Amino acid sequence: MNTQRKTLLLAAGLALVAIAALFAKRSEVYLLTLTCVYLMATFGLNLTVGYAGQMSLGQAAFFGIGAYIAAIAMKAGVPFLVVLPIAAVACFAVGLALGFPALRVQHHYLAFATLGFNVLIFLIMRNEEKITGGTFGISGIPRPSLFGYEFSGAVPFFYFTFVSLIVLAALLWWLLRSPWGRAFAALRDNPIRAESLGVNITAYTLLAFAIGAACAGVGGVYYASLVEFIEPGPFHFSTSLLMLLAVIVGGSGRFMGPVVGTIIIILLPEFLRSSNVEWLKFMQKWYLAFFGVAVIALMIWLPGGILSFGDRFKKAATK
Amino acid sequence: MNSFLEVKEVRKAYGAIKAVDGVSFNVGPGEIVGVIGPNGSGKTTLFNSILGQIKPTSGHVAFCDEDITGMSPLELSRRGVGRTFQTLQVFVKLSVRDNLIAAAQEFKGTLVSRLMAEPDAGLGEHADKMIELFRLQHVAHLPAGSLSYGQQKLIDIAMAFMPAPRLVLLDEPCAGVNPSLVDQLRELLVELNKSQGGSFVVIEHNMDFIMKLCPHVICMVEGKVLSEGPPATVQANPQVLEAYLGN
Repeated sequence: MNTQRKTLLLAAGLALVAIAALFAKRSEVYLLTLTCVYLMATFGLNLTVGYAGQMSLGQAAFFGIGAYIAAIAMKAGVPFLVVLPIAAVACFAVGLALGFPALRVQHHYLAFATLGFNVLIFLIMRNEEKITGGTFGISGIPRPSLFGYEFSGAVPFFYFTFVSLIVLAALLWWLLRSPWGRAFAALRDNPIRAESLGVNITAYTLLAFAIGAACAGVGGVYYASLVEFIEPGPFHFSTSLLMLLAVIVGGSGRFMGPVVGTIIIILLPEFLRSSNVEWLKFMQKWYLAFFGVAVIALMIWLPGGILSFGDRFKKAATK
Repeated sequence: MNSFLEVKEVRKAYGAIKAVDGVSFNVGPGEIVGVIGPNGSGKTTLFNSILGQIKPTSGHVAFCDEDITGMSPLELSRRGVGRTFQTLQVFVKLSVRDNLIAAAQEFKGTLVSRLMAEPDAGLGEHADKMIELFRLQHVAHLPAGSLSYGQQKLIDIAMAFMPAPRLVLLDEPCAGVNPSLVDQLRELLVELNKSQGGSFVVIEHNMDFIMKLCPHVICMVEGKVLSEGPPATVQANPQVLEAYLGN
């Protein structure tokens, strides 16, 4: 498929989602917005894991840091447009720090180091009641307002999140098409060779973590505004696993991979659970089991993710 | 300055095993030096000691009169020292063209300016010339990992020359390469030596290749230099013959 056709297809898809939101039920608009919010985090995770090859099981921690910064600051009256860069920069800085273990360990060791970080942040969120509200959380988080317009309704907030997601995705696309994207790929494919060719693997490893973390922080800000109440639960490491699953299921290291993966992780279980189609009604009880089996089957038959199907098909055709 | 690269009394020991045992040699500007020796004679360990992959136990390495002993590969690459490895080391998921651009882009501008640079970092034309030189046009847009061993070997070597390094250390460039490509590879190296003017140090087991390519050859056995000089002299040395063929 040439670039022009791809662009047209993407524009059509985006327009379809934008129009669908006008006719969707409130709960469906909420799910669409939630998908956009998670996508901000999984786009960032795809950069860290898929493009730069650094394993991370700590993305939910950054998602949580962004959400708590937003909750505390916005309740104190700080405008959304000020909160957003603060959360992004804070997560970028913490992400840089988390990148340091990656300079010494890789693969499953790095996975456990980042998982430990997620557990640490989760415990802080749960136990530092004076700041985070502990298990009672923080309620009454306001929706953002821009130039006097408040995005308080479900649909306006969806459009606000949707446009923000497109801007974030465009920024990442530009970054990955720049020489940085190639350096990230070199780091992922062969760090020893990359270093011998002048790639500063320390800088790029830290940047991969920091940029991925900043994206999750931005997602967290929108999440806090969406749910209007946060507590530590959604930032448990199981959410990090889910985000990683979204990246891998969609196609790690493919730009649209997280889109496909996040839709499947967020929307598919809900679709199966609430389906009123007669032959799918049994799914109301079995949807999680079906979801688990589908993921296992996918990992066996398409370990490169759903978007690798085309490549696999091409390879089979050329044999 | 007579010596471009000066290796002086380099030793690398792993416990009681002396992998490299007091090796010294010099490489002049634009010179091509061959390093031969049976398997396990310490050639690759010597390369790794020079190139910062491992730290030598003792000895000194100087490049352009600067002590580079123990410098990291990153620091060495910034001083114009390139290398290839014994095994294939390409970026498997990147296209051939992107492999070549990746090999040189970090030498252009700063980290921040590269973020703002055009996608090919202004190296597209140079990469295309290198692709043409190595006759890889028909696979230029394919992922490097999908190509044959011989093609990947050519990419591997082309990558080392993309940033126009002043010194390149090539570790067994002919290993696994189709015999019909060996002559082509030798011609390419001669051409690159002329056009880029760099110095090469080449480890190789293919005697015909090394004898035709290198005016100066070093033979290593058991971590030491056994013989060095013009190819014909080294080849005629009975100790070298014994090391290769046995009594």
